[in-house]
Amino acid sequence: MKKMKQMVSLAMVSAMAAGMIGCGSSGDTVSNGASGSSDDTVTITVGGWPSGDDAFKAAEEGFHELYPNIEIEYVFTDTTSHHQNLQTSLAAGSGAPDVAMVEGAYVAQYRNSAALADLNQFGASDYASDFVSFKWDQCISDDGSAMRLIPWDVGPATAFYRTDVFEEAGLPTDPEEVEELMSTWDGVLQAAEAVGAIDDNHWFMADGSYLYQLLFQNRDYYDEDLNLQLERDGDLDCLNTIIKMREEGLDMQVDMWSTEAYAAYADGSIAYVPNGCWFGGFLKTDIDPNGAGHWAVCNLPANIGAKNWGGSFLVIPEQSQNKEAAWKFVSYMLATAQGQNDMFEAVDYFPAYTPAYEDALYDEGDDYFGGEQTKKLWAEIATELEPVYTTQMDTTAEGQIFTSVNQGLQEGMTVEEIRSLLADNIEAATAEIKQQQIQTLKDAGVWDGE
Amino acid sequence: MKLILALLLIVLGCILIGKFVSKGKMIILYVVLLLVAAIMLLPFYDMFVMSTRTTQEIFSFPPFLTFGKNLIENFTNMNLSVNFMLAFRNSLIITCSYVVLVLLFCSMGGYAFAVYNFPGRGVLFAILLGTMMIPATAGIIPWYIMMSKFHWVDTFRALIIPNCANAFGIYWMRQYCKNNVPVSLVEAARIDGCSEWTIFFRIVAPILKPAYASLGIMNFVNIWNDFMQPMMILKSPSLQTLPLMLRTMVSDRGTDYGAMMLASTCAVLPLLVAFLCASKYFMDGLTAGAVKE
Amino acid sequence: MSIRKAWKEYKVAYVYIAPFFILFAIFGLFPIAFGFYLSFFRWDGLSQMHFIGLENYLNVFKDPLFWKALKNTLVIGIIAHIPILLGGLTLAFILNSKLVKGQNIFKTIYFMPMVTSSVAISIVFQQMFGNNYGVINWFVTLFGGEKVNWLGGDGALIKVAVIVMFAWKWIGWNMVIYLAGMQGINNDVYEAARIDGANNIQVLFKICIPLIKPIIIFTVIQSTIGMFNLFTEPFILTGQNWQGGINNGGLTLMTYLLSKAPQGGNLYGYASSVAYIITALIVIISIVVNKGTLDKSDPDYIADQAVKKQRREMARAARVSRKGGAR
Repeated sequence: MKKMKQMVSLAMVSAMAAGMIGCGSSGDTVSNGASGSSDDTVTITVGGWPSGDDAFKAAEEGFHELYPNIEIEYVFTDTTSHHQNLQTSLAAGSGAPDVAMVEGAYVAQYRNSAALADLNQFGASDYASDFVSFKWDQCISDDGSAMRLIPWDVGPATAFYRTDVFEEAGLPTDPEEVEELMSTWDGVLQAAEAVGAIDDNHWFMADGSYLYQLLFQNRDYYDEDLNLQLERDGDLDCLNTIIKMREEGLDMQVDMWSTEAYAAYADGSIAYVPNGCWFGGFLKTDIDPNGAGHWAVCNLPANIGAKNWGGSFLVIPEQSQNKEAAWKFVSYMLATAQGQNDMFEAVDYFPAYTPAYEDALYDEGDDYFGGEQTKKLWAEIATELEPVYTTQMDTTAEGQIFTSVNQGLQEGMTVEEIRSLLADNIEAATAEIKQQQIQTLKDAGVWDGE
Repeated sequence: MKLILALLLIVLGCILIGKFVSKGKMIILYVVLLLVAAIMLLPFYDMFVMSTRTTQEIFSFPPFLTFGKNLIENFTNMNLSVNFMLAFRNSLIITCSYVVLVLLFCSMGGYAFAVYNFPGRGVLFAILLGTMMIPATAGIIPWYIMMSKFHWVDTFRALIIPNCANAFGIYWMRQYCKNNVPVSLVEAARIDGCSEWTIFFRIVAPILKPAYASLGIMNFVNIWNDFMQPMMILKSPSLQTLPLMLRTMVSDRGTDYGAMMLASTCAVLPLLVAFLCASKYFMDGLTAGAVKE
Repeated sequence: MSIRKAWKEYKVAYVYIAPFFILFAIFGLFPIAFGFYLSFFRWDGLSQMHFIGLENYLNVFKDPLFWKALKNTLVIGIIAHIPILLGGLTLAFILNSKLVKGQNIFKTIYFMPMVTSSVAISIVFQQMFGNNYGVINWFVTLFGGEKVNWLGGDGALIKVAVIVMFAWKWIGWNMVIYLAGMQGINNDVYEAARIDGANNIQVLFKICIPLIKPIIIFTVIQSTIGMFNLFTEPFILTGQNWQGGINNGGLTLMTYLLSKAPQGGNLYGYASSVAYIITALIVIISIVVNKGTLDKSDPDYIADQAVKKQRREMARAARVSRKGGAR
């Protein structure tokens, strides 16, 4: 009898507990229910980070006209979480969306992964000549047999600068004159000194080390034998300029992506921001919405050539149950001028799909940038980009520049010392990733090193 | 330099007051206590202040240390960018169901380890303590693989049930039971013919109230703030929790600091309120659990 | 005692502890074991796994960043324990003296940092330590100092910021527990000391601290585990830098682990081996602390030993009587 009582009360408690959990998870059936609904409507999930969802929503109308039976559900979170989530879902073999955005940093590992669908099975290779080859080549697996990502946008890098501050500093404001002035690293220093001379609350840049990073902006850190290649034309002159800038207090010493720096862009404390073209969209809508007319765009300093800054890709995980529908979505969004341009107008992701540039849109002047034909400039840069060899170490290497250069500046190192400090730091931070990269290349049968 | 001098002067002044003013000692003690209290509260205060300011104001010098006028607008912006109430509800459901279960399991386990002298107790307890030492991050990928095999991805139960194996909680409850549950009382009840089950729920559980409060709040805080597990498990936007929601407010395009601080404030306030309400029990629980008499 | 007999007699106890062990066997064991298995492989989660024996472990020990992370963790942990221990003890002692009122209010306030979201509060601290707009630099300039680049510079001052945050969080917790211990000390002990002419500082160091030693050890173990898990605070203070900011100044062990996987990268095998190395460190420290402080006069310990002895004797008696019966 006593036993019975015990059993009953235990059962009751566990039922109570289960009931609570049950009611807790009742919400989850709602979202999954949609896929089971009537006729041949397919729902695909699309994952990524903001503002990708805004872009897709802007182009959705055109897509639905062509494919009324494909519904889209968006699963969006911040960039880091999205990638981690995608990564674990791929490793575990389930839970990934049907279409996922992927940042350029992940390309070198994803292009070799069997966890992603080979887009050639849908005829992706037909589009090869329509995309910027700098981006397209990165998507092809190392053994050349498959293509698991498709480029969305490209980030032609230019310099954004405050014309009002430049004027106050007695500098030219016309893009061509600014380019002329800053055609050497000495010229850059002159401009920086002029801005710094205004008063104590004006700086030329957020942090000088970003000038040096520009040299590596195409992420061509390694050659095909995975040797680190840090030496570039004029790299030491560039570092010299940075050292002098720091000595004279011309950079604000904050990360260019920090909210502190954003506030300084908006109030004119910082006058010069080299960045990918999409930064123009950031300025217009978020950082400095009232800034129309006092920003301008010109080519990067010291004639360092065409550089790419950022840009994303789309993938279709192999585990997806709706690959056909997913491909329809992907090919409409990325490989039609309408899809790409609708998205470009919404969020300033500059198309890697070159036929899109034929639109009249690209000849228009931009009022925010004083009527400059910025899109034309960006399109030119995009087509000038030279393909490079990318590896899994690139992003980690890039992450070392800011900290290493700053450490060198703080400790009063010479330019050569800074460069070798950076090399050491990159080697240390990428040691294990390099092993993984070699393994990946071995698996692909294209590694002939030791 | 000036700073050090000023500090020296203050210390000197304190010593003088302590020596020569009547009740001086008391005054100094209060000053010290209040100063520490101010340091403890400053970050909270700063957070509240920032949630009433614009981003521009937050990043200006000298910093604003008084409340601003932007609260309403921050509130509007917050609600434009995220669904606060939904995330709040989800967090509440997950946290509350977890806390109820974990308190039940931990008090049962802790009581058993404290009161019954069953064979294998030492070994089992050692195993239990051993599990506390392995960082959970080591197994996060296998854990996720497991959840997806169970089809628990995108459900709340994946965040609740596995976490109920809480070794620290059992350890805590065992300490508390040892110090506060008199074995004689349990034995007397047994002689009176009470079943073991009745003893636990009628006699022991009420004694454990302060321990429930302290362990409950500690676990509440942990799960309420947990980011890693929900991020991996909860895919649907409708299942987002507060920490996930806070994360979506951070953007490369520029973060609305005012709105984000307001959201943080709103996420932290329930914790503080719960803590303040249960503060007395909580402190008693901590006290009695930690002390061996 | 046979298993059946034990089960019969102590069924309730086994049922009570069952939930933990069942849940742990299902949800805890597999991840831990699989993680251990993974630590012998090179795996990026995207392509095939490759068995590489102990290479991961050897590479961790060869990595200068691992040693930097270990050093940083220990430096931060050890320095932070000075304010945590001394501050906690002093505050507890002040509150325990009969001179001040409002004990409960102060206790509650001091404890508040434990009851908050570390992400939210780290963002607040990041703002407060900010170079150009921070409150702390404002105070510094107010006293005529130069702005200090806490989170940048050569990376050494990041540790100061992390230590401040760590101490801020743990002081209250320790204080509350010490206070509890001090309240448990019989008043006569204080009286006797006073009569002998001891001043307050002597009372604190000669009487209070020795008497609550077990409690102090408990809090030290707790905050040591907290030290090894230190991640959110330095990560946010360094502007979410996986290398711990400039000169790896804020790189802690947990940041190092997570930078390999799963958050900052996808080197799952490597990260697993790091996790097991951290586990080993925690185990070693716990054993050292426990061995060094084992108290043989502890009633728990005595009772445990007595029960074990009794069981051994009963078992021997049973064996003897069985043998006797057979004969």
